[in-house]
Amino acid sequence: MKIVADGFEFFFEGAKDVFIFDEKDPKKSTFHGAPMKGVDIVAVFPDQYIFIEIKDYTAEADQYDEAKAADTAELMAVCDKRKWLKNYLKYKFRDTYLYRHAEDKVDKEIHYLCLLTFDNALCSTMAKSLRKELPVGRNRRWVRELAKSCHVLNVVQWNKNFPKWQVAVV
Amino acid sequence: MIEQIKFERFTAFEDLTIPFSKGINIFIGENGTGKTHILKAIYSACDVSKTQKSLAEKVARVFLPSEEQIGRLVKRKKASTTGSFEVVRSTDAKQRSLSIKLSLSNHTKDALKAKVLGTLKLWQDLPIEAAYIPVKDMMANAPGFRSLYNLRNIHFEEVYADILDRAFLGSLKGQPDQARKNLLTILQRSMDGKVIFKNEEFFLKNKQGELEFTLLAEGIRKLGLLWVLIQNGTLLNGSVLLWDEPETNLNPKLIRTVVEILIALQRIGVQIFLSTHNYSILKEFDLQTGDTDEIFYVSLFRDESGDVKFSRTNNYLDLAPNSIDETYGSFIDREITKSLGNLGK
Repeated sequence: MKIVADGFEFFFEGAKDVFIFDEKDPKKSTFHGAPMKGVDIVAVFPDQYIFIEIKDYTAEADQYDEAKAADTAELMAVCDKRKWLKNYLKYKFRDTYLYRHAEDKVDKEIHYLCLLTFDNALCSTMAKSLRKELPVGRNRRWVRELAKSCHVLNVVQWNKNFPKWQVAVV
Repeated sequence: MIEQIKFERFTAFEDLTIPFSKGINIFIGENGTGKTHILKAIYSACDVSKTQKSLAEKVARVFLPSEEQIGRLVKRKKASTTGSFEVVRSTDAKQRSLSIKLSLSNHTKDALKAKVLGTLKLWQDLPIEAAYIPVKDMMANAPGFRSLYNLRNIHFEEVYADILDRAFLGSLKGQPDQARKNLLTILQRSMDGKVIFKNEEFFLKNKQGELEFTLLAEGIRKLGLLWVLIQNGTLLNGSVLLWDEPETNLNPKLIRTVVEILIALQRIGVQIFLSTHNYSILKEFDLQTGDTDEIFYVSLFRDESGDVKFSRTNNYLDLAPNSIDETYGSFIDREITKSLGNLGK
């Protein structure tokens, strides 16, 4: 199944359904319509839901690296920006989960994939923070997980890992 | 400035010509792709311009093949073969390119029998100052090492003795200019003191007194060496600095300072060649360089037939293949396989 979102075109082989989750068009059956954040795409597979969030930071990647900061004020600004991005990705997932819970559609394991235009090292750093805060895995009192896994990757790494879910810049 | 190097059947290289930036040249690549050999070849060529010695003998002592049989540096083949490397440089004085070339056969045992070709007279009439910082620190082992190296046949590549020679050079006459003063101040702040030497032994001198280099962390010793080379005028406009894996024993926080200094040296006219396996080094250069800085990231890799090739870019994000970032990529791959199994594959 093919879908275009945020300047990227995805093909999901084997998906039962794929749709723009934060759909703005009220005429469409997948219209979001709630005052909540939402991930860009949800792909439905027989045993999994895949939540996908896309952020193209080609020109802004450095703003999320603390090594760029020249002084304490800049370091704080970089930390703030990275924290902002991490929170942005975190709350998008959580609101989507809540929305899907209300739809009674959290019956399968959920994997969260964030497609960012960072290099692999920065993707790894972001994934580590995000997993901790979503959180991935099961809390002591929970009987189910919010997210089974969370990964942050760029286009090259995405296509390498998911040959059946190819993505291309439109 | 060093303009390019050309290898033919020399050590790891079958046929490779690499043009250089007049500023910073950073080599990355997996082990065995010849990063250090490029630095050593350039260094040997620069050094003989000043010492007036034979390039063949210098190469034999810098590369240190078994029993100094220089023919062992020819790329290994079953049949008899010849190999060479040629370094080309430009000079402001002559408005032309100069070259020096070492050519030898795999049967050449004695360095004196290897051929040295090129614009040899001009090469040595117009000397070029160069410093090669090897991976292992020598500052703490300085006392007695140079005399031992000169008197006895000890199995050390000559770069280890040479860097101590550079470090022991006396100070330049007069005050350092403002650019050098600024660099020295940055280093003094990072290592909390200045470097002095007494009887061939280096000390870090600060308010607390004098601390011998053997008691200093290796990372601080590296900053100390850089301080000495700037302070004594080894690294000036027109000099060449070659540094093999600057990240070794350096805390990631100090890497930022080292890169800041290297970029500033490039801005005052020092041509720099580095090899690295370290992401922080690459990322620091990516983040700290501006539009006016001259930088090439050079990736060395083996093609399908096993020959060493290179790609280069002045934009870190365009560097491919990037063996360092690919390592982080492999972590991502393994995490995905671990949690998603064959999904999407």
